[in-house]
Amino acid sequence: MGDSEGALVPVRSELVGAPRVPDGRADLPWLLVAAAFGLAVEAQRRSLDAADAVVGRFGWPLRALARPAVALARGSVAVARHHLDLDGWVARGLAEQRRAQAVAVNAGRALVAAVLDEIDLDQVVARVDIGRVVDRVDPNQVAARIDLDEIVARVDVDAVAARIDLDAIVSRVDIDAIVARVDLPALTEGVIDEVDLGEIIRESSSTMATETVDALRVQGMRVDGLVSRVVDRILLRQGERQTGPPLDELRP
Amino acid sequence: MSKDIRYAEARALQGHRAGFASRVVADAIDLGVAWLLGLSALLAAGVVRYLLTGPPLRLPVLPNWLDGVAGAAVAVTYLALSWAATGRSVGKQIAGLRVVDRTGRRLSLWRAWSRAVLYVLFPAGLLWVLASRRNASVQDLIVGTAVVYDWAYHAADDASPTGQA
Repeated sequence: MGDSEGALVPVRSELVGAPRVPDGRADLPWLLVAAAFGLAVEAQRRSLDAADAVVGRFGWPLRALARPAVALARGSVAVARHHLDLDGWVARGLAEQRRAQAVAVNAGRALVAAVLDEIDLDQVVARVDIGRVVDRVDPNQVAARIDLDEIVARVDVDAVAARIDLDAIVSRVDIDAIVARVDLPALTEGVIDEVDLGEIIRESSSTMATETVDALRVQGMRVDGLVSRVVDRILLRQGERQTGPPLDELRP
Repeated sequence: MSKDIRYAEARALQGHRAGFASRVVADAIDLGVAWLLGLSALLAAGVVRYLLTGPPLRLPVLPNWLDGVAGAAVAVTYLALSWAATGRSVGKQIAGLRVVDRTGRRLSLWRAWSRAVLYVLFPAGLLWVLASRRNASVQDLIVGTAVVYDWAYHAADDASPTGQA
């Protein structure tokens, strides 16, 4: 206790100002001596009370032996109290202790504030290697901790969509520029190449032509037969004409 | 080949000798084609003359004898070349006919030319088809040819277009 008060003296004198001495009668060393003596006397009184209590519990033999000693001691303590103004010194010492504690707390706060004032945070920050810090951060772990589903579930997509002005967006689109960038001739050529319009026209027209020509040919065949039969009847011929394939003539 | 023909009666007659009506139709069309060829030749001659001597642009007027000879030459050339090449001129193509020799083969150029000359000189020989039991014209009898129904396509190097030989 005495050491701590001694250590605090210069701090108190520098930071708190002039020392306060109650009623001008004592300086600090005398105050400490008195406080120590007061504490000793108080401790003695309490030990005597304890001894008295012990004697009271352990019966008359011990009481008979101890009572005179206790009485003597109490008497001496009372005399000392009365003549040395011990109670006053004790109160003064306790008050001085409390004040010293307050001074120490204030001094600590002031010291910390002064230290902080002296520290240039910018320099400290400048000495921090952010790159190494970032290197030690694993983005995958960070991402794994994020529950995207939960975040998305909290987003009101309808509300977001409702706030989008589609007309304004569309009005900003330059359709002409887009069309200008589309190679329409090449596109058209590709489509025509794929469709093969010529083949379609050829097929349909050839089908039509084939049907027409076939009908004409069949009619010609029928008329051929009719004419032949009419002529044969006029010529009174019997039997069919020999109109088989030419090779038949060569057969025996 | 004949399976592509939808008319059953036509399928049955493929390779058979064609009658009078079909051949008249074919020859009439060929006559028109020959006339168009002659007209085209005249037109070409007129254009050439216009380019060489200047306006007016008009068809040349040939003397009658030259007109006839030139027309006959165009017709003979057209018929002979088409019969020798595929056996069918434009008219016979439309009518579904083909000219073959007695063995069913394609005509030689000489035989085709002879037949064409005979037809140009004596077209009436076609009338003998009416009377002939084998539907042969006078020219067919002289040159030894026949005209058959043949609707199918045959490549020009197919020596036997009717598939008989």
